[in-house]
Amino acid sequence: MKGRTVNKLIVLLAWSAFVSGLNGQIALGPTVDTFGVLAGSTVTNSGLTVVLGNLGVSPGTAITGFTGIAPGGPGLVSGTIHSADALALQAQTELTAAYNAAAGAASTATVAGDIGGLTFFPGVYKSTSTLGITGTVILNGLGNPNAQFIFQIGSALTTATSSSILLINGAQASNVFWQMGSSATLGTNTSFAGNLLALASISLGTGAVIQGRALARNGAVTLLSNTITSPAGLSGPPAPLVTPAPSSLLLVITGLAGVAIYQTRKRLFRSFKFH
Amino acid sequence: MSWRQGVIVTTALVLLGCYAPTLKGMAAQWWTDEDMSHGFLVPIVIPWVIWRERERWSTLAIAPSWWGFALLASAAGLQLAAALGVGLFAGAVAFLLSIAGVLLCLGGFGWLRAAAFPLALASFMLPKLAVVYNQATLPLQLLASRIAARLLTTAGIGVLREGNILDVGGHRVAVVEACNGIRYLLSLGFLAVMLAYWCDPKPWMRWALLAAAVPIAILANGLRVAGAGWLPSIEAGVPHAVSGCLIFLLCLAILMFFRQLFNRAYACYRN
Repeated sequence: MKGRTVNKLIVLLAWSAFVSGLNGQIALGPTVDTFGVLAGSTVTNSGLTVVLGNLGVSPGTAITGFTGIAPGGPGLVSGTIHSADALALQAQTELTAAYNAAAGAASTATVAGDIGGLTFFPGVYKSTSTLGITGTVILNGLGNPNAQFIFQIGSALTTATSSSILLINGAQASNVFWQMGSSATLGTNTSFAGNLLALASISLGTGAVIQGRALARNGAVTLLSNTITSPAGLSGPPAPLVTPAPSSLLLVITGLAGVAIYQTRKRLFRSFKFH
Repeated sequence: MSWRQGVIVTTALVLLGCYAPTLKGMAAQWWTDEDMSHGFLVPIVIPWVIWRERERWSTLAIAPSWWGFALLASAAGLQLAAALGVGLFAGAVAFLLSIAGVLLCLGGFGWLRAAAFPLALASFMLPKLAVVYNQATLPLQLLASRIAARLLTTAGIGVLREGNILDVGGHRVAVVEACNGIRYLLSLGFLAVMLAYWCDPKPWMRWALLAAAVPIAILANGLRVAGAGWLPSIEAGVPHAVSGCLIFLLCLAILMFFRQLFNRAYACYRN
């Protein structure tokens, strides 16, 4: 019985690898890659949202609740804000291409209902209807930093409060795509990873965090005190800089010099006294 | 040279000869490991401390104790274990134990008491104990990352922390092993003891300042990492070294403040 389960798993993994090879890698275009948030109609924010990356809307124009664009607001964008300009339009074009590529990828497995508590390996997972996440979903990259996960969702994606996506063994947020036939709704304090590609709208609950992007083709993106960090593209994130402290020899010499000056301060500064 | 001086010099040379491989290993670690490079200063500071207390040493009575041989035998056992593969740390401890044994053999408990502080200082040049270091490294890295992220958030700067990686507006900083704060901890600990010795006659002040140095060093390291995240220009080269030293001097100033505080508390207690 156990042997048959293992055999099934091996066949499933081999099939996943084979179909993944056929599908090739899906990549966001170079313009949309720089966006953390992109909407088709409006971007609305309440609370201290932080978007690390660009923020834009096209063909709509309304962006509310962000510093740097009227009427202003508490939201912060590390990149630039694009309201119906050429860059936002280009990003939408690239989003449509990526959306279609994700939707057209050959599926390796079918999923349904609530996938909370499950572990997924690289592959293309299809849900013909809505998909829910309650609890933690683990995406296991199997040690391959280019491992790609595509979730094709027929209609809506909904996450429960405090749900999370955990990336392990080299899985990267930039290589995870959630393609929704309608909308995505992330529950309060959800910790999400991957690129949300919605045909309609995306709505984030209070305190939800995305390590990825919220990209809506036609509808709105609604934010509520969230943090969205757009990761780098398929080339992987830039190597972080390392900041070791100065050597302990330098620190102790500096410190001893400081103590010596402190101890001899009266004698030292006597010569500088003005009469 | 009197016969007593001759005995002291001969014993010192024999001791150095016996522990030459251990001392070589320690020096190699000071040279290669920037966490431990302050080890070069310790053998310079200890003679200075002894010279500063030369009057006390000259008045000490000479009362050799047989217990010294027990210490020397223990040290020899430990050194044997180190040579058989226990590690450099055991050998270094054996070296200090041998010095204590020699002091007991030649001068007695009075000499050992007088050498207690220099021997305690010598513990700062002991090699890192791998078991403890490996256990402490990751928690300290994560603690430094958390403190830095909290400081940046408090300052109104958007930051996303993924384990030991800080992402400040797309600018990523990794709090790796060398950033874990042990360097600040060891250096400030040594300095706290020296500050108390140099500036304060009360022996308990050394322990008090050493205890105070632990949270100060951890917080300061977090501040240093936060600074590197906030200002990418100070991340490397001379600006990085200067900012690290300036934060260390700030730690020293805080230690001096704590010394005043402890003295006032002590005065209140006495009154």
